[in-house]
Amino acid sequence: MSIEIRGVSRNFGEFAALKDVSLLVETGELVALLGPSGSGKTTLLRIIAGLEYPTAGTILFHGEDAIRRDARSRQVGFVFQHYALFRHMTVFENIAFGLRVRPRALRPTKADIEARVMELLKLVQLEGLAQRFPSQLSGGQRQRVALARALAVEPKVLLLDEPFGALDARVRQELRSWLRRLHDELHITSVFVTHDQEEALEVADRVVVMNKGQIEQVGSPEDVYENPANPFVMNFLGSVNLFHARVHDGEAHIGPSTTPVTTAQDAATIGYVRPHELDILRQRNGGPTVEAVIKHIHAIGPTVRVELARRDNGELMEAELTRERFTELALKNGEQVHVKARKLQVFTEDYSI
Amino acid sequence: MADTTTRPRLATEALPVRIVLISVTLLFLALFLGLPLASVFAEAFASGRGPYFEALKDPNTVSAIKLTLLTAAVSVPLNVLFGLAAAWSIAKFDFWGKNLLLTLIDLPFAVSPVIAGMIFVLLLGKYSSLGGWLDAHQIKIIFAVPGIILATTFVTFPFVARELLPVMQAQGVEEEQAALVLGATGWQSFWRVTLPNIKWGLIYGVILCNARAMGEFGAVSVVSGKILGLTNTLPLQVEAFNDDYNFVGAFAAASLLAMLGLITLVIKSFVEWRTGRNE
Repeated sequence: MSIEIRGVSRNFGEFAALKDVSLLVETGELVALLGPSGSGKTTLLRIIAGLEYPTAGTILFHGEDAIRRDARSRQVGFVFQHYALFRHMTVFENIAFGLRVRPRALRPTKADIEARVMELLKLVQLEGLAQRFPSQLSGGQRQRVALARALAVEPKVLLLDEPFGALDARVRQELRSWLRRLHDELHITSVFVTHDQEEALEVADRVVVMNKGQIEQVGSPEDVYENPANPFVMNFLGSVNLFHARVHDGEAHIGPSTTPVTTAQDAATIGYVRPHELDILRQRNGGPTVEAVIKHIHAIGPTVRVELARRDNGELMEAELTRERFTELALKNGEQVHVKARKLQVFTEDYSI
Repeated sequence: MADTTTRPRLATEALPVRIVLISVTLLFLALFLGLPLASVFAEAFASGRGPYFEALKDPNTVSAIKLTLLTAAVSVPLNVLFGLAAAWSIAKFDFWGKNLLLTLIDLPFAVSPVIAGMIFVLLLGKYSSLGGWLDAHQIKIIFAVPGIILATTFVTFPFVARELLPVMQAQGVEEEQAALVLGATGWQSFWRVTLPNIKWGLIYGVILCNARAMGEFGAVSVVSGKILGLTNTLPLQVEAFNDDYNFVGAFAAASLLAMLGLITLVIKSFVEWRTGRNE
């Protein structure tokens, strides 16, 4: 079932949590609402669920106005950040809850309910834990119970509010890929909220980057990462180096060197380069480069991070190299090298991060 | 390596200080609680077991016991309803007048029980406008059983609400919201999710409410009219016996109240033990 968010605004007194937000989520898509705290992403999610109402605008499920329906009748599944499992019920009872509270006419038989709960327990890989209480489960297990509980009522839409926020890094990774595989199997239209860009880029079909109640950019993970619409998106999705540059005739002049640039606008501007798009060279090899001194080398992990300072104005930069390249160059602290930007992004609007 | 099982030095006093403090506390408790309690039973059985049970079978005592039980049987459920409603609205919703409601809930604690009784007499007694109307229609509230129940309900109102409120506030609204999204009606959410979660708080509140309802003296004393055999609750009957110099009767009735108090304490400890275990 598709979800259309049309012109939704939400004010809390003076504060505008959402400002005229519009978005279309296609049937079967897995969309991430990504943004910092206060961006309005959780508010938007709750409005879709019916747990909150917008000050203006509407929500349509498959073309039909859903705003008048309360949370009970919207047929959405909601997974809370802190699980909200019913603490005095067993795992079995938690998952069965949605089926048990159906009106008499629609309620499945006891045997049916049991079959469905067992099926879901198998899906979330928690068979054998049916009689445990939430307090006896780990964080990851609780989250999976919460998911099973939401899925029990066969919702048309699945909404997840920072589902892995309260878990430790390793469990988060595992559940992330697990969620992706689950979605590939079930194909329920899903929207999840996160402030972790890695999570959004890894799991979602499309990413909606939000900031201060507005949508900054919507696109596939590759799209928003490689072609950010503005400095906010670029900065939020990964670390970034800033260069003060002057654009002239389609080239950005950074210090003594120039780099061809995609946008053509004569002005003083800021250039953005991702750490892994900075190459370190021992010799100037004919292209535009900047001279720099190595300040710090961080060689732990799969890649090597090198902090450098520009020789001409002392600006700090961070480059990311593969281990092979690093060993090849045999870099040491204090050495003078040349830095080249493979790709420099320049944004036309005047924007500050 | 320091012994990690000894407490940090700041948490303990020197041994002599501890002994003194504990002794003073125990002495205080013995003097003001233990002694009076023991003497109630001692005096009740002073003339032997026979007179004790005779006193309990006294028709006035029997009707006093019945009235006390009736009063508790009506006020406690009423206050459970009021307390649940008040605690639920305050904990789960935001509305204008919320703080006012909170203050009103504590009102019976702030007012002296005698004054509380007076309020009802003034409001519903024969010489007020409302009371005049009641009198004209032969409806007896003041100086009759309904008045006693009314006064008792007022005085014991805060107990259930105040026990439930912190529990409900601590638990928040997320579970109820989850129930809602899963399709539960308001009633289903309350019955299946909220109520089991507040079970122990509710039991605790009921125990306290009951103990106070049965033992209330001040407000009931003003409102009841003290008609022997009709409008005397057990505490009032103790006073009546005392006025008549019937000390065996007074202490026998008092021993019943004392036993009620002890049973309440036992149940209270049990509930605390259970909630301690659940956490």
